[in-house]
Formats: sequence, C-alpha cells, structure tokens
Amino acid sequence: MVFSSQVFIFYFLPLVLLVYYLLPGNRHLFLLLVSYVFYGWWNPWFVLLMLFVTAVNYAFGQWIAAPGASRRWKRVAMVASVVTSLGTLGFFKYYMFAAHNLNWLLGNLGIAPLTVVEVVLPIGISFYVFQSLSYTIDVYRGESPPVRSFFDFACFVALFPQLIAGPIVRYNTIAEQLVSRAHTWNKFSLGVALFILGLAKKVLLANAIGKVADAVFDAQAPAALDAWLGVTAYAFQIYFDFSGYSDMAIGLGRMLGFEFPRNFNAPYLSESITDFWRRWHISLSTFLRDYLYFPLGGNRRGTRRTYFNLATVMLLGGLWHGANWTFVLWGAYHGTLLIWERAMGKSSIYTRLPPPARIAITFLLLLFSWVLFRSPDIMDAWRFLSAMFGGSIAGGGSMLLAAEVYTQGTLIIMALCALVVFQPVQAFDWVETLTWGKAMLLILLFALSLMTMFVQAFNPFLYFQF
Amino acid sequence: MAAAKGQHVFLTGVFVVTIFGVGLLQSGLEVSRGQRPQSADVFLKKPTAANLRAYEKNLEEASWFAEKVRPTVQYARFMLLDDAGPKTILGREGWLFYRPGVRYLIEPWPPKTVSGEGQGDPLPAILDFRDQLRARGIGLLVVPVPGKASVYPEMLTQRAPAPGQPLAGHTRKIIAQLEEAGVAVVDLFKVFDRAKRGEEPGGKTKYYLPQDTHWSPEGMRLAAEATARKLLELGLVERGQVQYDLKPVAVKRRGDIVRMMQAPRIERCFPAETIDCTQVVHRQSGEVYRDDPDSQILVLGDSFLRIYEQDAPGSGGMIAHLARELGFPLASLVNDGGASTLVRQALARKPALLANKRVVVWEFIERDIRFGMEGWPRVPLPAERQPGVAAAMLE
Repeated sequence: MVFSSQVFIFYFLPLVLLVYYLLPGNRHLFLLLVSYVFYGWWNPWFVLLMLFVTAVNYAFGQWIAAPGASRRWKRVAMVASVVTSLGTLGFFKYYMFAAHNLNWLLGNLGIAPLTVVEVVLPIGISFYVFQSLSYTIDVYRGESPPVRSFFDFACFVALFPQLIAGPIVRYNTIAEQLVSRAHTWNKFSLGVALFILGLAKKVLLANAIGKVADAVFDAQAPAALDAWLGVTAYAFQIYFDFSGYSDMAIGLGRMLGFEFPRNFNAPYLSESITDFWRRWHISLSTFLRDYLYFPLGGNRRGTRRTYFNLATVMLLGGLWHGANWTFVLWGAYHGTLLIWERAMGKSSIYTRLPPPARIAITFLLLLFSWVLFRSPDIMDAWRFLSAMFGGSIAGGGSMLLAAEVYTQGTLIIMALCALVVFQPVQAFDWVETLTWGKAMLLILLFALSLMTMFVQAFNPFLYFQF
Repeated sequence: MAAAKGQHVFLTGVFVVTIFGVGLLQSGLEVSRGQRPQSADVFLKKPTAANLRAYEKNLEEASWFAEKVRPTVQYARFMLLDDAGPKTILGREGWLFYRPGVRYLIEPWPPKTVSGEGQGDPLPAILDFRDQLRARGIGLLVVPVPGKASVYPEMLTQRAPAPGQPLAGHTRKIIAQLEEAGVAVVDLFKVFDRAKRGEEPGGKTKYYLPQDTHWSPEGMRLAAEATARKLLELGLVERGQVQYDLKPVAVKRRGDIVRMMQAPRIERCFPAETIDCTQVVHRQSGEVYRDDPDSQILVLGDSFLRIYEQDAPGSGGMIAHLARELGFPLASLVNDGGASTLVRQALARKPALLANKRVVVWEFIERDIRFGMEGWPRVPLPAERQPGVAAAMLE
C-alpha cells in the first residue's frame, strides 16, 4: 500500500486512527495487526518472512538478556542473530545477483551455467532486517533493555509508517515509546502537517519531475543538455520522493504518538560529501556508523585503517541499496570522495571557496553519483555520463526528446524544486511552530495534492525497491 | 491531552474530516444508488496480491470525487504546465502527437526490459507468417506505416533533425532485415519523404492530421498508390477492370489524440477539423466501394485502414483507394491497435478469409514494433494447399 494512494488515505488511515484512539488497551496488538495488513497488501506471503525475522531476533534477544547467560553465550546469540538476519537478507536480495555473476564467470571459463531459481525480493526487507538486527545488538551491548513482550517487538519491527522505506528506527530510540508515549492534539497536528508536506513533496514535485528524469534516462542518445537536465531532475526526484516518504512516515508516527528520528536535513545544501552524509538518509548513515564503522575501529586505528573502514562502509552501504554493480560503484564513488576529503583536510578545495561554490561543487559531484544510482547497469551509466560530456551524438529519434522535456511545465516544476531544495528551512523544522498562516497553507497543499493524486497513475516511492 | 491551540485543532479537524469524509461519502453514494459499498469488496475475495491490486484499482476508478475533480485538474495542468496528459505531447502550431509513438522513436530498440521471442522482436513472427502463407500459396506484402512524428518531426520540436535525416532508425532497420529475408515491403518512409520534398504529385500538403495519430486523406492516398505500385511491380496481381470514381466529401473529425485526453474542457480548445475526403464509388452502379470477401487480396491492418473507410465518410480509406488503384475490390480484416498480433489471431479464427487469396497485404503502424498489443508471438494458421504462383514469385 502506498501512502499517496486513495486506498491508504481514505480507507486504511481513517480506520486505523479511529480504532486506535477508541481502543482502551492492546494498541500495540492492533498496530501490529494493521501493520501486517499494510505490508501484506503487496503480497500476503511476505508477512511470513517478516514474522520469521521478527521471531528469530526476538528469541536471540531473549537469549542474550536471559538472567545468568554467560558472556560467551550472549556473543553466540548475537552472532547467530546477525548471521540469520543478514543471511535472510542476503538470500532474498543478493542470491540472483550472485548467481548471475557466477554464471557469467562460469560462461567465460567455458563451464555450463547453473540453474538460477527466480527469487522475488520482498518489499522493504532491507529496512526491517536492519531494524530487527539493531534490537539484538543494542541488547547485547547493554544499550537497551530486552523488550517486554513479543507483540511489542513485532510491533516495533512491523510498524507500518516507516516499515517500507524508513527512517530506520533503532530499537533503543523507540524502546521507551513502546512502553509509554504521549498523545496530544499538538503532536497529532504536527504529524498531520508533516504528512501533508510529505504528500505534497511526493505528489506535486517528485512525481512531476520524475517524468522528466524518466524521459531522459530512457532515451537512446540524449544530447549533453538533455542529460544534464535529466540527472538534475532525478536528483530532485529522489530527494522529494524519499524525503517526502520520510516526512509522511514521521507524521504518521506522530499521529500514533511515536517520535521517529529525522531522516533529511537540507542535503543539497551540503558543503562537502562528508557533510552530505550527515544530512541524507540520516537513519541509514548513523546505523552504518554505529553498527559497522565504529565496530571496525572507526578513525581510532590510524589513517589507513580509517580509509579502509570508510571504503568498506560505503561499499556495503551501496550494496544495501540494491544487488547491482551500479550500487557497488555508487558506494565506491562516495567512499573515494569521503576518503579524499578526509585526506585533504583543510587543504581541500572546499575550504578555500565561499559556501555557495562549495554547495555547487558538492551538488555537481552528487549528480555524477545519481547517474550510477539511476542507471540499470554500468554500460548504461557510462553511456549517460558520456552524453553529459557530449560523448554521444543525439541523432535520429533522440532529437525529439526536446518536445517532451523542454516544456513550460518542466520549467515551472524545476524552478519550484530548486527553490525548495536550495533553501535551508526543512519540513521537519517548519512544522514545529504551527501558525494560522501555515495551517491554511497546509490545507491548500493538502487539497492540491489530493486533487493531483486523483489524476496520477500508480506511482510507488523510489526507495520501495530497496 | 495537552491544551491545543486553535490552528492545531483546525488543521487536524480539516484533515480528519477529509480523510473520513471521502470514503464515507463514496460509500453513502453507492448505498443510495442501491449498490453495495465497493470498499467492502475487500472482504469478499481471497486476499491475494492480484485481488488486492484489482480492488485498489476498482476503488480508484469508481471514485466519485476523482471523477468530479479530474477534469478541472487536467484543465489546470494543461493551461499552466502544458501538460496534456499521459498519452499526448503538444507539438508546434496546434499539432498533437501520441506519446507512445514519440517514445518509440526516442527510446532504444529492442528495449532492455523486453526479452524473448514473442515479446520484442517482430522479425520471427513476420517471417513465420510469411512462411505459413507461402505454404498456402499466398504471398505477403508488409506495409509498416510511419508514425506522425517520423514524418513531421519539425511539428513536434524545433530541434527536429533536418529533412532527409533518418529518424525512425528502428523501423528502417526492421525494413532492411525484412527485405534481406526476402519479405516484400512497401517503404512508406521514402514515399512520404519524397512527397514532403514535393517530388510526389499532390504538392506539399499535410500528409497527417494535426490533431490525430492518423494520416490525412492525401497521406492515405499516397500509401494506397505506393502499395498498389508495389503489388503490380512485383507481379503479385494484375490490374483489374473495375472502374471506380472519386467523390469529394467533407467530414468533420475531432482528432483521436484530443479524445484520448478524456478532458472535455481541453477538448473544447481543439475544435473539430474539416477534412476533405474522397469516397470511392463504382463508376457504373454509383454505389460506394464495398469489400469482396472472395477477392484475391486480403488486407490486414489497424486503424490506419479504418479511418475514412469505416469511419466517416466511409469507403474512402486505404482499402477503397487501393482497390481503385488495382481495379478490383479487396477483402479486409481490421483490428484497431492490434495489427501486430490480434489481427493475425482473428485471421486464424477465420481461415475461410484466406480462400482464393493470392496476396495478403499486412499494414501496421511502426510503433507496434515496440508497443504492439500482445507483443509479436507466432500465430499458427491451419495449414492448407500447395505453394502457389504469388508465393513462388516472391521467393
């Protein structure tokens, strides 16, 4: 079920809110039930897999927290939890990728290929596996108490607002809220405000600008200008799509009394790639920092080891996004830039230039990375990058692309996107002080978003594929 | 609950009333019409992924609010953003283009997302069809029709390639492959190219309708003449003795691209075009042209055959004009948008149509190479007869 769909907004959400606020108790059980309905809407069978991941991590968490459990046993349980969770993720997400690559290798060696079984990728698996895993690790580290009941834990893993595409909520962030949380008018209305802003980002901006990006990326031979326009449109699309989802998720969470962490903080105002990773998909970068970078030693084991750690984290972060060499390259590209910035330190070109120039350079560097992110394969990414530098001659039918992308609509939407992206006030902060003016603007945006939603075709969020 | 400020309550109130109101009003409306609320359908079927998708789709399509709001939003987007909807691209000087036809020219072919025979490649299907017809002693003449954007790219964008530069690379490649495989093809790209340069009779008229996906009567006549020329040149048929005359008829037609927008307020911005057609009439009887199922030629195709023939004015389309050029009536089988496969499937269901045939003329719009309904699977015809004269001549 997509947040920006009629079935969610006019049927699922009101029903959930009504029953949730009428229930005198057992609200977690109810939230668990509706979260499974929400998740099972894609494919009911996927719920069983989520239940398996939940049960495994709950059991290992109990094992770790059992009174009298030795340190060794705790460690065994934690490792088993990590292996089972990542094994499940690995099988569903990377089995086919690995098998196809192995077959390619075997083919080159003249060996008959293996039969590859078709494995369907369950939606949102990367998110809920990471969330479940955070629980056992936090309990193992003593940073969180064990959960009081299975239903509470299952509710934490399956909580529908942020289930499919984050923010990745770590157990220790939400542990106390699972025990008790406040429900207030203000909290609810701020949730409504964020939900509306997220919906507007998705429906009014991301979907509209996404058409431009799709048209250019799908073209056989875009001209240089077309390619730059296309990748800029994609940069806007992915930001509004993903941050829109996060805003809606955080908003829905607030409507149900939860406080989820912010996931974006004006990422395209970053003055370096290092800065970018403090502002983009914050819940993933902090997850990778706390559960991978720090355990690897962070920056405390010397320069070379720090670079190695950075590269490893970014490569795995890239691979987390999808089983494709383009994501590995995307991670490698970001890792290289992070290492380069760290190596250059204060002598980096960033530090010598005024902030607007630093922002522009960072945005430019990000555009190249989005080409890798958007392209279906490396050859396509290379073709597109070549086009950006005039390496492909737009001939034949590709010349007609102009009619699709250089329109009044594109100009207006691009200008709107740029205006919103390159200003510092973020939805998360903007709603904190709700004035009458803001309330009226939000209602107008809500009406516009719903009206636009009525004419748009099914358009799921980009991050659903991860 | 903590004390709430007015604006918080107001925003929450409007939000809650909206999300509850739309669903409740929709259900109320359905009940008042004596129907079961569609939202309850979710409990009536097994919750499989397919059923849930269908439920969601039905819910959206039946939405009273969506129905009421859609025209206004479409009109606003059209006026403010030049957005004419998912199927239409606005060209220059009021010309409209069918988006899939343009995308076909822009995107690579074969597309990466489509693989396997029967999906992306028309060549095996066409060769198989040719071979099956040959086994019945029937020849095949393929007529890929250029899309409007292939012929009039300059009306789509100023950045269009200069006249004479190849545009429809995919179709030209297919035509070359077909010719190399020994399939007879009418290259209408060359015909329209010459015509636009004033090298064909008729001068520099519009060969396609500005607000329609289809050709104008002049364009259709050029295609009919070129097809007849090819049939006669190859000796597949001999010119008949039936005399037909042309009768000028003006018809009013609202372009199909305008209608595809499904937005009455936008449609009003594009008044119906007056089109000067010519009906084909039998010289002796004065009756308008009629097909003859026993003809030696069967014409298969899509709406490019239907326009002016079955549509107003009637008997003035490509089939009638081809018959006039050849001097005898033809048999035809037309399937709108289904010339890649559906029309062959229809033929397989009516094999009697192949009786007495020497040639099958198969017309399809070039975008069907990519977007043809049902793809390009082989369609088996019931086998009959020994190879005949026409098939032997095509070898």
